[in-house]
Amino acid sequence: MTELWEVLSEHFPELSSGFWVTVRLVAISFVIAMVVGTAVAALRIAPLKPLNWVGAVFVEIFRNTPLLVLLFISFAGLRRAGVPIDAWVAGTASLGLYTAAYVAEALRSGVFAVGKGQIEASLSLGLDYPRTMRYIILPQAFRTVIPHLGSLTIAMIKNSAIVGVSLLALPDLLHQARLVNSRTFATNETFFWAAVGYLILTLIATVVVRRLEVRYAIHR
Amino acid sequence: MTKIKLWRALIAMALAVAALAMAACGDDDDDDGGGNGGGGGGGQTEEAQQFPAGSTMAKLQDRGEITIGVKYDVPPFGFKNPQSGEIEGFDVDMGKLIAEELGVEPKFVEAISDNRIPFLQQGEVDLILSTMTINQERDMEIEFSEPYYIARGRILVPGDSDIKGIEDLAGKRVCTALGSTYEETLREEAPDADLKLVDTYSECLELLQNGAIDAISTDDVILTGMIIQDDTLKMVGDELTTEPYGAGIKEGDKEFQTFVSDTLEAAQADGRWDDTYQKWVGQYINKQAQPPEMTLQEALALG
Repeated sequence: MTELWEVLSEHFPELSSGFWVTVRLVAISFVIAMVVGTAVAALRIAPLKPLNWVGAVFVEIFRNTPLLVLLFISFAGLRRAGVPIDAWVAGTASLGLYTAAYVAEALRSGVFAVGKGQIEASLSLGLDYPRTMRYIILPQAFRTVIPHLGSLTIAMIKNSAIVGVSLLALPDLLHQARLVNSRTFATNETFFWAAVGYLILTLIATVVVRRLEVRYAIHR
Repeated sequence: MTKIKLWRALIAMALAVAALAMAACGDDDDDDGGGNGGGGGGGQTEEAQQFPAGSTMAKLQDRGEITIGVKYDVPPFGFKNPQSGEIEGFDVDMGKLIAEELGVEPKFVEAISDNRIPFLQQGEVDLILSTMTINQERDMEIEFSEPYYIARGRILVPGDSDIKGIEDLAGKRVCTALGSTYEETLREEAPDADLKLVDTYSECLELLQNGAIDAISTDDVILTGMIIQDDTLKMVGDELTTEPYGAGIKEGDKEFQTFVSDTLEAAQADGRWDDTYQKWVGQYINKQAQPPEMTLQEALALG
């Protein structure tokens, strides 16, 4: 028990700097995931076959590749191909696009839940397709899938740890915990605090999602 | 009709894949059997030593197997031979000597810098031979054998780099393995270097080759292995550090510690060490074999 507090007090600077790197990583990836995910969902349900295919290819590529492999390809692979990509760009893009594929699928299921009738009604009332999406369908779809997006966000927070163990060597929470562990060998104590760090982030996400749910949920 | 043909083709493909998978498994079994049989045979021809009941040596003999943690990505010390798939190298040969002395079969598992000490503490491996430098921090957690190899710290850079030594590392991106002694050495000796810490040295090599880092710092033998793979790289700098490698043994197991040290020292005395050195290191770096004269106490006094 004493060792638990010792590890925290002696290595707080490293662990907290890792925590903030994880926060930054997760925040940037979240924005990428939501923006790209929404765009891809729109492609997948657009009334034009080629667009559907583009969306489907995106989803299948990023959903069917393990995140760690994606990190290797986006960093080592692109650099070998002559693209001097930075570790931060590779890390946030990989985590963001990986999550975006799931977000797109979640939103698509939300759109289906809204029902075809509303799309037809809106189109026949004279709104064009983008406006139908923007004002009628997507707002309802988002509300329906808030709990699902919450789960995806929590999964993304945890997946951010994979970025820390990859060859990107970004000094995130897990990376810092492993550094501390390599010096102290206090494995249980060090990773306990790493777990607490991730728990703080996932609990915040949980609370935010719960609030959004209460506020925007559609009661049926 | 076409539908049936399609189904047939699919089934045929599935069967082919399954057959390949089974053949691959079969090969593995054969390889293991052959390799272990050879090693075990060597041990059984000589009378295996008798050990007091309850000692680690006696327990290993009862089990008929010793699990040894080695590196899989550090040629020429511990690496997977790309042709045969066997684990080979200087450390692996040292492990085989110890298994032979016990008359048991060696089983090699991968131990990276980050996990090897917990592996030993949790009993997942009986012994570690993974280019591990003896130091005081680690000595608090595990027992070390007498040094069985002395490596020297150097710096590896691309052929056209202007880095000439550790004094040029300020502001440069330098890679080493997370949890290695070089992490600490670099923090002290090159505090302004931008450290990139990864799991394995093969990742460091990838980063150096693709330009994401400027230099790698670790033992000269590991760096030699990288130059064997890519001769556009060069080693620079004076010998930064002296790195006596020791075998890792579970904390408190003094009997096994003595046994491992004695076995390795006997190999140094009768020329087996020299042969192993020549086979894995000497022929590549043109350096005379010299079994370490340093003792464990002297190694620990280094840091």
